[in-house]
Amino acid sequence: MSVLMSRRGFLGMTGFAGLGIAAAGTVAGCSSGPPPGAATWSMWSSSAAEKKVWDDFGKYVEQQLKVESVASLTPSTGYPTKLDLQLVSGTASLVTALNGTLIPTYAARGAHRPLDDLIDADPDFSLDDFYDTSRRIGSFNGKTYAIGFDVAPTVMYYNKDLLNKQGIPLPSRTEPMSWATFRDLCKQLTKPGQQYGFTCAPAIDDLVSWIYCAGGNVMSDDASRSTLGDPEAMEALQYVIDLFVKDQVTPPIKNLVTESSLSNFMQGNVAFMQNGPWQVVNARKAKFDWDIIPFPAGAAGSKPRVSGSSFAIPSGVREGAELDLAWKLMKTLTSTGALDIYAKAGRNNPARLSAGSAFQPPPDNLGIVQEILAGKLAGGHAFDVTTNWNQVKQLLGQDLPRTFLGQVSVPDAINGLTPRLDILMRQHLDTVRQATARKG
Amino acid sequence: MAVDTAPAVTTPAPSRQTSKPTPRWRGREALTAWLFILPSLIGFLIFTAGPVVAAGVISLLNWNLFSAPTWAGLHNFARLGPDPTFWSALGNTAYFTLVSVPLTIIVSLALALLLNQGVRRVAVFRSLLLLPYATITVAVAFVWIWLYIPHDGLVNAVLGWFGISGPAWLISDNWAMPALILMSVWKSFGFGMVVFLAGLQAIPQQLYEAGRVDGTSPWNSFRHITLPMLSPALFFVIVTSMIGSFQVFDQALIMTNGGPGTRTTTLVMYIYRTGFENYDQGYAAAQSLVLFAFIVVITAGQFLFQRRLVHYDN
Repeated sequence: MSVLMSRRGFLGMTGFAGLGIAAAGTVAGCSSGPPPGAATWSMWSSSAAEKKVWDDFGKYVEQQLKVESVASLTPSTGYPTKLDLQLVSGTASLVTALNGTLIPTYAARGAHRPLDDLIDADPDFSLDDFYDTSRRIGSFNGKTYAIGFDVAPTVMYYNKDLLNKQGIPLPSRTEPMSWATFRDLCKQLTKPGQQYGFTCAPAIDDLVSWIYCAGGNVMSDDASRSTLGDPEAMEALQYVIDLFVKDQVTPPIKNLVTESSLSNFMQGNVAFMQNGPWQVVNARKAKFDWDIIPFPAGAAGSKPRVSGSSFAIPSGVREGAELDLAWKLMKTLTSTGALDIYAKAGRNNPARLSAGSAFQPPPDNLGIVQEILAGKLAGGHAFDVTTNWNQVKQLLGQDLPRTFLGQVSVPDAINGLTPRLDILMRQHLDTVRQATARKG
Repeated sequence: MAVDTAPAVTTPAPSRQTSKPTPRWRGREALTAWLFILPSLIGFLIFTAGPVVAAGVISLLNWNLFSAPTWAGLHNFARLGPDPTFWSALGNTAYFTLVSVPLTIIVSLALALLLNQGVRRVAVFRSLLLLPYATITVAVAFVWIWLYIPHDGLVNAVLGWFGISGPAWLISDNWAMPALILMSVWKSFGFGMVVFLAGLQAIPQQLYEAGRVDGTSPWNSFRHITLPMLSPALFFVIVTSMIGSFQVFDQALIMTNGGPGTRTTTLVMYIYRTGFENYDQGYAAAQSLVLFAFIVVITAGQFLFQRRLVHYDN
């Protein structure tokens, strides 16, 4: 059967059909989302191996809670932005993963709720099984805002094969070496253009470990001013920059954005790498024998940065059944069972002491991670951050990397940065005051 | 902006110019026309006009995204003055625009002229040269990071053949921005080239023939025939390139993250960081309105200027 249709009629029909499809698409788009009663949680995930761990977490949640687990996985670089948009639009999951450095940022702005009332009302849950540093990282302004799932100090990775080849005795597995010894070793192991003594990221995240070991910090105890210009911090900064610029014991920096200490270390021609146990899973792919040792000790001892990640509950979660489910989900995601899955996969050291045994070698000396956290060996320092840490990091990220390139001296960089850092510290204190007033 | 960018197409034929045009919209025709316009209009209102108005409102607020906004008046605009990063970002954006736009135009035009010389398989070359433009910036940026590697990168290797020791492009105070500009020119010349090629192919051949009869040199032919006849296309490419370069973001974020220091921090990058990393939405909105004002003023200036220099075929 043939139907005659005018051109105008055809165009009109096409227009209406288009509108119809658009409307149907809009309705379909609006109706998508997790089913009611589902245990929703969000997490960063940047690799297939990482996704596998979170899939296993999801299965564990379903097994324990008997509800559907819906995980929203986002690559780590885009995770904060996506989380922000979800929090603002009221579409955030019941439980969201947070990097430890951002917990004060979110807590101070009221994006996540304090958990103390939930913890106090639950006789089955105790924070005692979590490392002190993990609990400290999850707190802001005297309240617990997040519960950790991993926590670990920065350690020093070393290439055993390379040291053996050079006839250099392997360093002590438990006693941190002094900075002077470390520097001498790095110089001894460096053959310009072929082999290097040391690698770390040209960024504040790695510099703070040296600063803490020298007895310094980025900010004063009350966070009212920057202390990067204090003698202790300056000594640490100058020491690291000298390794790059003066001693040239590090691989040449090719690009400040893509510079990766792990990538350098995996080449097999770098003796020492500063990094955390979260890279153990990647370092296991190395084609040489390697291990980890405590971070070199400065004037204040071996006190490298301790960092961790946690789960938190957004403020938008409604009281009642929704909050009950969120709390059950939070407990499940941070339970020994779940953290066993995480640790067995080698992702990082779990935040619970009871899950520690699941984080197994290689490397041989992996046990020092938990000994450092427990205070039995060397030491660690929780990563002190502000409620505007992104801004502080941005500012430091502008000028500090130039010192690694020798473009600016350490004193010049710090003198230029300090007034602006002090302003950010004052803004941080204002934010804390506002957050305190809001609670009151 | 209600100025027609392609009057050559839309200007009525001379015979019609004598009679005053009368509206002929009738009910069904008008409805059909509106139906066709509607999707675009809705998109414009929701995704362009709406956010511009919203940015105007947000610029008057203190808003960290999560808490309720509070009134700030013009405070966010007052903050722009003493903010060195804002001025640095503005200067970097201006530098990028002032160098990259003319370079892009020159390269695009040169390649279009080359392809217009009766080259065989012009469609193949046109497609090949258009490929960088069609490729996503993120992918291109990562490739160029490798090309710019100080010692082993292709760029410095090629310079080395001529005895030139290339700089550490992306980490050099002086060379980071030129490196971004070079990559951006390579990425975007294809668009201008296609527009210019279409413009060149639309120039009546009898103009060149008349020129040849009069003994016009190739340079004069280019100067007095090609350029004037190509001026609408040239104007279009300049305006769109200028607007695009004021909004440069991806390549700077990926290749240098705004460094070293703030040498390649562009205004859009700073706006993004202010709004979504520092959670200072009001200040970010104030910055974006300033950028919007810059683009509007410069584009309006171009439209005023074009009346004297752009020749339409009517």
